[in-house]
Amino acid sequence: MKINSIKKISKIFIILLALALCLSSCTDDKKETTGNPTIGESNYPVTLRIVSGSENKELEPLLQRFSKENKIALDMKYQGSVEISRILGQDNIPYDAVWPANSMWISIGDTKHRVKYMESVSITPVVFGIKESLAKELGFVGTQVSVRDILNQIQNGKLSFCMTSATQSNSGCSAYIGFLYALLDNPEIITSESLKQEGLRADIQALLKGVDRSSGSSEWLKTLFLEGDFDAMVNYESLILSTNEELLKQGREPLHLVYPYDGLSISDAPLGYVDQGDKKKEEAFLKLRDFLMSSEIQADIQKYGRRTGYAGILPENLNVWRKEWGADTQNILSPIRMPDSDVLWEALNLYQTEFRKPSLTVYVLDFSGSMYGDPSEKLKDAMGEILLQDRAAKNLLQASQQEENIVILFSSDIISISKETGNSDIEKLYTVVSKEKPGGGTSMFEALDKALDIVAGYDLQNYTPAIIVMTDGQANGSMSIDDFLRSYNKHGQDVPVFCISFGDADVKTLNKLAEWTHARVFDGDKNLIDAFKKVKGYN
Amino acid sequence: MKTKHWGLLLLVLVILVAGAYSWFQGRQGEQVDITGYIGGEKIGLVDDPEVKKILMNKKKLTLNYQKAGSLDMIRLDHGGRDYLWPSSQTALELYEKTYGKPPQSEIVFNTPIVLYTRQMVSDALIKAGYVTKKDGVHYLDMKAFLPVLEQGERWESLGLPLYGPVLVSTTNPTKSNSGNMFAGLLANMINDGNVVTLDRVNEVIPRLKALIERLGYMETSSADIFSQFLKTGVGARPLVAGYESQILEFAHTNPEDYKQIKDDVVLLYPVPTVWSSHVYIALNEKGKIGLEALLSPEIQDLAWKKHGFRTGISAANMDVSNIAVPGVAPLVAQIIQMPDSQVMDKLIKSLEH
Repeated sequence: MKINSIKKISKIFIILLALALCLSSCTDDKKETTGNPTIGESNYPVTLRIVSGSENKELEPLLQRFSKENKIALDMKYQGSVEISRILGQDNIPYDAVWPANSMWISIGDTKHRVKYMESVSITPVVFGIKESLAKELGFVGTQVSVRDILNQIQNGKLSFCMTSATQSNSGCSAYIGFLYALLDNPEIITSESLKQEGLRADIQALLKGVDRSSGSSEWLKTLFLEGDFDAMVNYESLILSTNEELLKQGREPLHLVYPYDGLSISDAPLGYVDQGDKKKEEAFLKLRDFLMSSEIQADIQKYGRRTGYAGILPENLNVWRKEWGADTQNILSPIRMPDSDVLWEALNLYQTEFRKPSLTVYVLDFSGSMYGDPSEKLKDAMGEILLQDRAAKNLLQASQQEENIVILFSSDIISISKETGNSDIEKLYTVVSKEKPGGGTSMFEALDKALDIVAGYDLQNYTPAIIVMTDGQANGSMSIDDFLRSYNKHGQDVPVFCISFGDADVKTLNKLAEWTHARVFDGDKNLIDAFKKVKGYN
Repeated sequence: MKTKHWGLLLLVLVILVAGAYSWFQGRQGEQVDITGYIGGEKIGLVDDPEVKKILMNKKKLTLNYQKAGSLDMIRLDHGGRDYLWPSSQTALELYEKTYGKPPQSEIVFNTPIVLYTRQMVSDALIKAGYVTKKDGVHYLDMKAFLPVLEQGERWESLGLPLYGPVLVSTTNPTKSNSGNMFAGLLANMINDGNVVTLDRVNEVIPRLKALIERLGYMETSSADIFSQFLKTGVGARPLVAGYESQILEFAHTNPEDYKQIKDDVVLLYPVPTVWSSHVYIALNEKGKIGLEALLSPEIQDLAWKKHGFRTGISAANMDVSNIAVPGVAPLVAQIIQMPDSQVMDKLIKSLEH
């Protein structure tokens, strides 16, 4: 009897012990499994995972200094503000801090109230940067300019410009909403009814036809601009200022900054902590915040063309805002009023499915033998994220009514070419991809060459074109990259070839390809779905 | 024999564990950790190291929080929360309607709703006759100003180099308290300066709705909108509704920054205005400890001196002689009651699409 009860107690004890063990091991499991932080050393005691708007990339030298001085590593991931807003609504947020371009995106996304210590790090307005000579010619220098004035020149065909995607990036979204105001004759506020106003669709479509190139992020828009030869771009004042510094270095014509008096918008770069109950991270975050908000660093941030503090730009930093570029820190910035969030989503959905310049996308997908098994399954899943419209809608990546989508599957030869126009039957393309089984070699350049032929059949005035190639290996067909680039030049079209690398992909070749065509390489290894989502955000 | 030894050993272990457990529990009894929802405008106070220290030393209390709008927090899941600390009586009334009487509730401090603006705007408003300056304090005649808002008069027509219609930026009245209270004040003004009653509410709604809808996207936190007011400049936010406490706290916490804007930022006291009462709702026994601590003289003293909340029975009449901010009214006398919670509920529902 006694032994029995002892046994019972010991049983309970063992259960308790097991529970304790489990608890301790469970907490161990919580330790992050992320790889190396992008800033600082992986052996630093704390790593802050920060998802940030791409425009903050320019501040990395300051972040590096912070990391070194405080032994706090930073793992920076750059995403569009709309995506950051979406991430905040998820149950699990794989980040410790958010740093979008506008506090609106935190307010909209943080429905579970996990963001705290939010503070605006710096201010920069969204402005037009227009080639100096062209700005003069259009009469935009030394005078008050409205958004409408700029639109008139775009509609007259005198001005074309680059902007980021309105559904992916804050600067593009701001510009788009600014355009809507101007086209609607500046109502007090944009409402759901006004979006249905007659004539608006035709007006905005005509306007967005003037978009030369679209980009998923503001920082890359700058890179694109520097690589190409474009008239103008809509971007943050800070990025236009740094673009100009670069243009000058290259001996090229700078951009004239135009601040429409009826406003675009102001980025306030709010940095906020995502509270998930980790005190160490919280302490580290507060150190980062205090560092960035210290008067020394706030003064430094001005050197990057961002406005900080309460009293305007310090005298020693005024030279960053060059008067001869039209830069002006004294003018009063009147940003547009953002519509209510329901109306905003409606406007963004309209942009994605109806208003934007239709995209012409050729997917060139590797189904060689090495893709067998997991890689091809991942590829199919990622394509589902874009082609299956319910899934695409979650990221505002739906197809529009006029867009063209072509899928080329290849291995040793081209396996199949499938094409869909508009958004009603686009899911058929997914069926094609999902049914295919990999096998054979990697005749990538032959497939890409075919893609160029297909693109040549379209009038590119009416489309934002892109070729998206995804591969996990070395091209081993008879065509070399040089053969292909010759063919590319012969075709004479400005089509970016975006590359998604996976597994053992020949990144060097892909980099060359992307550089030559003013595109980008995305790393699909960490997260293939993410890479596809990103690349799709570029057109 | 063997089994017995093992059993005894285990017994001893269990006793040790039990002992350790109860010792641990005992310690826990001394140290209290509570968590709840608070409005953003009080974060400066609860994050204040001095406040934290007093709570710890005197009450062994750690006050954890999550930020939420005053009305939002009533609707949120209260699981794992010990208290709610909204900024108005309306929130408490809403709580009582949904959950019944809370274990304990009390007003911790008060602050009036004010409008923040810049010198250039206040000068134009004085010139136009909407604002009067008395003993250094600016008063905005709400009755005279309402038509300006309703008719969509433009800043340009007041002679200002600003673009767009004259608007007061507020937080979202359906989510956050300062916006909610300013909407209540507007409703009263629409009702000819009388507190809106249930029989009048339907007449007020269309006009109030029109006023609020013109604001478009609205911030959900009073703290955020105030910091945007300070940072994004006069063009972005010419006129913002907030709490009087906000500038007082800012001036105290960031004296260097405040110096730079002192001459430009102007407080306008609406005549009449409404009181925001920061009422603490204890959800359980643990939560009550928080209330007791916050009502202690030390915290109350800091609440006024460092964070600008009017405390004690003389909240309406404070000594402002040691305040760094010019233009703070010692006496806030012209107050109008907020419409009762039933009326507010109807008003807010009409604003929620």
